[in-house]
Amino acid sequence: MTLPPSDVLQGTLDLLILKTLTLQPMHGWGISQRIQQLSRDVLQVNQGSLYPALHRLEQKGWIAAEWGTSENNRRAKFYRLTPTGERELKAELASWERYTGAVRLVLQGG
Amino acid sequence: MRIVDMVRLKLRSLLRRDQVEGELDEELRFHLEMQVEENIRAGMSPKEARRQAGITFGGVERHKEEVREAHGLTWLSAMSLDFKLGLRMLIKYPGLTLVGVLGMAVAIAIGAGFFAVMRSYMLPPLPLEEGKRVIALESWDAVTSEPERQILHDFTAWREELKPVGELSAFSTIRRNLIVPGGSIEPVRVAEMTASGFRVARVPPLLGRYLVEEDEQAGALPVVVIGYDVWQSRFAGDPNIVGREIRLGSSVHTVVGVMPQGYAFPTNHRFWVPLRADPSEYKRREGPAIQIFGRLAPGATLDQAQAELTAIGRRTAAASPETHRQLRPRIVPFTTLFSPVEVSSSWMVYLVQLIVSLLLVVVAVNVAVLVYARTATRRGEIAVRSALGASRLRIVAQLFAEALVLAGAAAVVGLLLAGVVVSRLHTFMVEMTAPHGGLPFFWKDAGLPGSTVVYVLGLAILGAVIVGVVPALQTTGRRMQSSLRELGGGTGMQLGRTWTALIIAQVAIAVAVLPLSVFTAWEYMRYGFAEPGFAAEEFLSAELEMDREYPSSTEAEAYNREFAGRYRDRAATLVERLEADPGVREVTFMMDLPGHEYAAPIEVDGEASRESATRRFVRFGQVDVDFFDVFDVPLLAGRRFHSGDLGDAATPVIVNRTFVQQVLGGGNALGRQIRYVSDGAYTAPEGTKPGQWYEIVGVVSDFPNPMNSGTIEARMYHPLAAGQLYPTKLAVRVQGGTPAAFASRLREITTGLDPALRPHEVAPLDEVYTQGEQALLRVGAWAILLVILTVLLLSAAGIYALMSFTVTRRRREIGIRTALGADSHRILRSIFSRAVGQLTIGVVVGIGLAALLDNLAGGDLREGAGAMLFLLVAALMLTVGLLAAIGPARRGLRIEPMEVLKADA
Repeated sequence: MTLPPSDVLQGTLDLLILKTLTLQPMHGWGISQRIQQLSRDVLQVNQGSLYPALHRLEQKGWIAAEWGTSENNRRAKFYRLTPTGERELKAELASWERYTGAVRLVLQGG
Repeated sequence: MRIVDMVRLKLRSLLRRDQVEGELDEELRFHLEMQVEENIRAGMSPKEARRQAGITFGGVERHKEEVREAHGLTWLSAMSLDFKLGLRMLIKYPGLTLVGVLGMAVAIAIGAGFFAVMRSYMLPPLPLEEGKRVIALESWDAVTSEPERQILHDFTAWREELKPVGELSAFSTIRRNLIVPGGSIEPVRVAEMTASGFRVARVPPLLGRYLVEEDEQAGALPVVVIGYDVWQSRFAGDPNIVGREIRLGSSVHTVVGVMPQGYAFPTNHRFWVPLRADPSEYKRREGPAIQIFGRLAPGATLDQAQAELTAIGRRTAAASPETHRQLRPRIVPFTTLFSPVEVSSSWMVYLVQLIVSLLLVVVAVNVAVLVYARTATRRGEIAVRSALGASRLRIVAQLFAEALVLAGAAAVVGLLLAGVVVSRLHTFMVEMTAPHGGLPFFWKDAGLPGSTVVYVLGLAILGAVIVGVVPALQTTGRRMQSSLRELGGGTGMQLGRTWTALIIAQVAIAVAVLPLSVFTAWEYMRYGFAEPGFAAEEFLSAELEMDREYPSSTEAEAYNREFAGRYRDRAATLVERLEADPGVREVTFMMDLPGHEYAAPIEVDGEASRESATRRFVRFGQVDVDFFDVFDVPLLAGRRFHSGDLGDAATPVIVNRTFVQQVLGGGNALGRQIRYVSDGAYTAPEGTKPGQWYEIVGVVSDFPNPMNSGTIEARMYHPLAAGQLYPTKLAVRVQGGTPAAFASRLREITTGLDPALRPHEVAPLDEVYTQGEQALLRVGAWAILLVILTVLLLSAAGIYALMSFTVTRRRREIGIRTALGADSHRILRSIFSRAVGQLTIGVVVGIGLAALLDNLAGGDLREGAGAMLFLLVAALMLTVGLLAAIGPARRGLRIEPMEVLKADA
């Protein structure tokens, strides 16, 4: 039975965006496609949450934006990770590991 | 990303809204197009693909809104809406706007004016290169509490030994007649200064050179440097001015340079000659009176300089204790050279500034009460907004924005008012100091300094917080829920006991302060416009000065004797020549102008000697034998002075009527003996002998009329020969023209007799009176009246608010009772009487406070007309309060029962 696609939790969305951008700069559409791909269609990012998240991350200085040309010659806004963003990503990853590890322990222990 | 980039990003979202919106649009559209393409690839038709994409994407506007929220600046656009609303509120409630803006504007104006005056005149910056490092030095006499100026020896010592201060310079201000051939003769102020003084200022000359050390040598050519204005006005901008000779008094000087426009260093000087003073010719604490200044050496600090100076001072005191034991050398701000006001206690200045700022707090609290009363009528609106999701912060922010608009308007008006007052003050000071050389160069009329605007902004925000936030917090309190239920009007909010008490307290304070203020204003007005009681407009007054040198200590006694003899001779001749002039009717002379005599303590024969606390003070004048004749002062008893009374052994004196009444208790004054008290604290005035008994030989009428309240009016006069004391004042009664027109003729005659003679402070006598103390009194009276008016206005507004609030609150009750047949007048009377009752309490408490205040201040208000004044003020306040309450009362009468009941449903 395939799991229905679920909305990504707020907060983890930031983490996913940052991780996606470690490989290369991407536009919003590309990010949502990549997340969907990598999660094997489990995580489908709600566009309503994606763009506010992107702009929020930009305001915080964790990602930077630049207008460029997409693969099909359209004008698109590309986002890339900033040095601050890289640092924050490491921190977020560490706390995510800690969190999920703890949950796993509890579930296995019971 | 650096902070700079983040700030730039925020600014961009703020300022380039359209561009940012457009980009967002484009970004979201791109995403949509990609989704459509994806759908087509998945097999949908283009139309279907687009529809599906739209559904998946969701509402675009909502996304945009969320993105905008992410930018974190939505509150700003909400704020701008609030400001527009605030502006509309101002227009909708003109009464509150007028009272609030006016009241706060006056408070802000006072605060701003005081602040500007402090910055510009008390602690001004020096407009010189590295002006902060230019300082002055003085030798403070700890016994007499005055600076000792005859410190030529100390100056030389300091110049050599005080390392942290470089280019130590000394100067003294002397006056000389400037005699330009073919031009008019005018006394000018000259700075006798060491050449190093120019190097302290670091301003290069416009033409020629400034002074150098060689000019100070004895026997060097007498030189002078002149200022730009003088060059233009007295020498017509002569391009060959350098090398020209000019006469200053009895000596001739060669011009060696011209300083640029605006240069008036050290304070307000336009002529500079070298200071030639050899310390070896004088004993310690003798010689010319000088002022010392210098520039801190590079790297030196004030503390270092003061420490070394103190050490040097101690060494000198140990070396010559008789002269220097009580002298304490110290470094003072450069501005002390002009105004002797000690500004080192700057914390006092800040304290007064704080008190003045509190004035705004008082006014703001007042206005807050009015705003609170108005907010009560908007309960419904607020309740609805709260129900729609506005947080308490939001609503308070809106009310704060409205208050900020009000405070902002008040700030603008207040700044304008302060600007006008400050520039008038500046003009006033320019006039006042014109005869003394004008304002110092560091007192520029820069209008209001920029820091004042910042201060006013701070005041405005403070006012807005008090006026907006406090009532808002009260309004959005727990009673919000009940407000919503009783949306149609009714008994929701209470004008709580606190607020009512505040209004009553304000009335009480107003009543308490009013009698004293009105009385003071009245006195100021009375004396500010008082006539001197004689024909002062026919007289030209002047002080007769003669050029003095600084004799060496050995020659001092002989020089002073010669000077005194020469002065007597000149003065007597001058009086003769003036009397012979056809433009002169009469001439007389005295030591002090009528009304400006000094006071001294005296003893009366036959009276037990008194303790110092109850000493009798009278004014004493030393006057010409013909003084009373010339001024038409009637003789009441005894005789006038005659020339036989003159001489060092003179004992006759003449007193005025007030003297007889106050000092002698009435009765016969002739033959009574008076002498001056001379013990440790007081010495007999110059020209009188200590311990000498003087006999009253005549009584004259009071002269002149009193020109200030509470001053000593008992006078005692001594006879004086022409030039007997220095400097003597002349009063010339002119005929066939005005005194002002005679001024140049007076100078002509005087300098024609001797170019070393200088008439000083030449002015018509009536102007001396009206433009001196009287001008200040008049200004003071107007200021007090303005404050009184503001207080009354605010009190009236408070009562209006109180009454209006009560009527609004009880609308439904009034409506129902009227509908049930009750007489609306009776209901209203009950409300009215309650308000009047509270008003009366305030007035009564106020009168009590006023009486208490008067007691503290000496109790002289309650005698005589004072009691009437209390009653008048009480009546005035009651009337104002009643008038203020009438408006709301009439509104209450017009309440239609049906309207009220309908609104309830």
